[in-house]
Amino acid sequence: MPSLTGHISIIVLVLLFVESRASQGAPPGSQLDVNHKKPLQTFRPYNIAHRGSNGELPEETEAAYLRAIEEGADFIETDILSSKDGHLVCFHDVTLDATTDVANRTEFADRKRTYEVQGENMTGWFVVDFTLKELKSLRVKQRFSFRDQRYNGKYQIITFEEFILIALYAERIVGIYPEIKNPVFINQHVKWSNGKKFEDKFVETLLKYGYKGEYMSGDWLKQPLFIQSFAPTSLIYISNMTKSPKVFLIDDTTIPTQDTNQSYYEITSNAYLAFIRNYVIGIGPWKDTIVPPKDNYLGQPTDLVARAHALNLQVHPYTFRNENSYLHFNFHQDPYVEYEYWLNEIGVDGLFTDFTGSLHKYQEWTTPYPKKKKNAEALLHEIANMLKDDGYGA
Amino acid sequence: MSNLPASTYLSGCAPLFLLLLLHLAFARPLFPLPSKTKNEEKRPIQTFRPYNIAHRGSNGEIPEETADAYLRAIEEGADFVETDILASKDGALICFHDVTLDDTTDIAKHKEFANRRRTYEVEWFNVTGWFVVDFTLEELKRLRVKQRFSFRDQQYNGMFSIITFEEFISIALDADRTVGIYPEIKDPVFINKHVRWADGKKFEDKFVDTLLKYGYKGQYMSDNWMKQPLFIQSFAPTSIVHVSKLIDSPKVFLIDDISVRTQDTNQSYWEITSDDYLAYIGKYVVGLGPWKDTIVPAAENYLMPPSDLVARAHAHNLQVHPYTYRNENQFLHFNFHQDPYAEYDFWINTVGVDGMFTDFTGTLHRYQELTSPHRKDETANSLLVKISQMISAYEGI
Repeated sequence: MPSLTGHISIIVLVLLFVESRASQGAPPGSQLDVNHKKPLQTFRPYNIAHRGSNGELPEETEAAYLRAIEEGADFIETDILSSKDGHLVCFHDVTLDATTDVANRTEFADRKRTYEVQGENMTGWFVVDFTLKELKSLRVKQRFSFRDQRYNGKYQIITFEEFILIALYAERIVGIYPEIKNPVFINQHVKWSNGKKFEDKFVETLLKYGYKGEYMSGDWLKQPLFIQSFAPTSLIYISNMTKSPKVFLIDDTTIPTQDTNQSYYEITSNAYLAFIRNYVIGIGPWKDTIVPPKDNYLGQPTDLVARAHALNLQVHPYTFRNENSYLHFNFHQDPYVEYEYWLNEIGVDGLFTDFTGSLHKYQEWTTPYPKKKKNAEALLHEIANMLKDDGYGA
Repeated sequence: MSNLPASTYLSGCAPLFLLLLLHLAFARPLFPLPSKTKNEEKRPIQTFRPYNIAHRGSNGEIPEETADAYLRAIEEGADFVETDILASKDGALICFHDVTLDDTTDIAKHKEFANRRRTYEVEWFNVTGWFVVDFTLEELKRLRVKQRFSFRDQQYNGMFSIITFEEFISIALDADRTVGIYPEIKDPVFINKHVRWADGKKFEDKFVDTLLKYGYKGQYMSDNWMKQPLFIQSFAPTSIVHVSKLIDSPKVFLIDDISVRTQDTNQSYWEITSDDYLAYIGKYVVGLGPWKDTIVPAAENYLMPPSDLVARAHAHNLQVHPYTYRNENQFLHFNFHQDPYAEYDFWINTVGVDGMFTDFTGTLHRYQELTSPHRKDETANSLLVKISQMISAYEGI
């Protein structure tokens, strides 16, 4: 291309720039060597892989988390429950029915029970009635019939420790976002020695693997972590045990908190948000309570995000899914339009998504680098990418 | 507004008043209306990346083949608006996909037409319903269109009527940028069996007459074509051959599923995609429009190894415009993880097609704007020029 030769000095400049970036991203000596891994991005809202990349693979399995990391997740998210013998496992439902093959296991046929869970009676095979060894004998399946079924029966339930190691062994810094799930129910059914509770064992596990430090501290950036729960007393209880950032989850408008029996309206009031702000750094609401829909169209947004932000609370809504049955018609069956709305119009700080890859693509295409660094560096980034497309450099 | 006394203000405005009077006297609008904008002034269609063909308009959002669906598609960035042309009982050319009115209109609610249900043979199969060819244009205009799929937005049902080929063309020509049209000579065997025109003209003749009336002409990429871009499509090869004598605009040969035989020549999929046939039809068309699952077949909702159809078509200098791309996860093979953008990525970058019929114009447009917003060779240069300008400015050169 004759016109390029005239700008040869610029090309050299660009290639040097690209080269220097490449050496900064050189593979680390050890995968646990947090000092040389590509750091967590903090300039745009967090891509939180809800139960791993569970749009593609059965939820909360090692494969789902590895896929999520591959696809660019900032954080991998999990729900922590406990087995009968007190081992912390990654599993969402208190029952095994919907996502495992327990119903096909004749050896467990007599273990179906009915318990009260958050005020409602539930029947099924309960996680708390199985030892870890028994849970490991089961195989996980895809929850939704309209998602890929071909991995059914291949993967096991993993433990909290196995989940943590998946994150720590990644080639780049990957944060974890574990939930203290159904703590009232767990503490009712599972007892630990030395009078320890579910929340104690939860934090112990995190401390064991070196998770510590306030939000954005040096320690936190090396091993990013958000602790989430629907139960405010659990979050308050652990606040003396760890300074790691916590997020208060908020369920639908009809659901009271499992521990303090407070309504949605109470816990989203200014007074309560100011109170909980002493213990948490953000809230995690169900997105249809932030902008309630009507006839599958978005209704008027509430002021929850504005009030949370006024109190310096982040907002990480759940859950974003690609399937058109989950998309309000404003988005024209296009999940990227939904991301655009929540990131640009509503302005949230993180998203729990079942489709890590889609959110990552959306963010990479629309906000690939920090906005402040517009002009020269941004243009150089663009040139470097174009040259890469044409086969030059990095 | 200043605080000058009224008299000063008025006298200062005298020249303005004069101008205004002159304007009114000549009755020229202050801003040219879109339809009066000369073609040269309109933004041209893009030709550097695969065509975004709005299949039946933006029918993912609005009932198919209605004025609103086409206007939405143009708003969303379509390169071409696509339509299917059928004929009414009295020979008017209309935009409508099915030969029957059952699925996309409120015909069932019109008691005055209750006795008009029929059974006819259509493309080798018996079909029962209210047939377009049994209704005059005036009767068709009494009906109201509805969304075909229950899982799509139902809020526009009953609002819009069926439009004519001429109305469709006007929508394209009235746009404030150059928008191409992509009409199909639909079910010509069936239409010619049921509808007769005066002067011995056939369906295909009336189809071309309409295009010529609105000034459509010129080979692919010619100046005339760039001003009024057009692809004529059909599943019936003899119709394509017939119209090629009447108009030199580019044509595209549509290919149905592997089990379907052509309605006019009764040929199989394997025949019409053979190298010999491609060489033959290549004399009349610039491209093929296959069903995408025949180009890359799928099993258990996963892609299988691709066929070589695209490679062979390209070897014959034929473009490939597959149909149809839809956002809903039930239409997406699992390789794409329920992400329509991943499907576009595959077809544009891995398979390498030249255009796509999509129900979701906006999504394809967004994908293309995010991943290929400008020509590759132009961009590197323009950005380098920008950088050197910035450097010069900084150094005060």
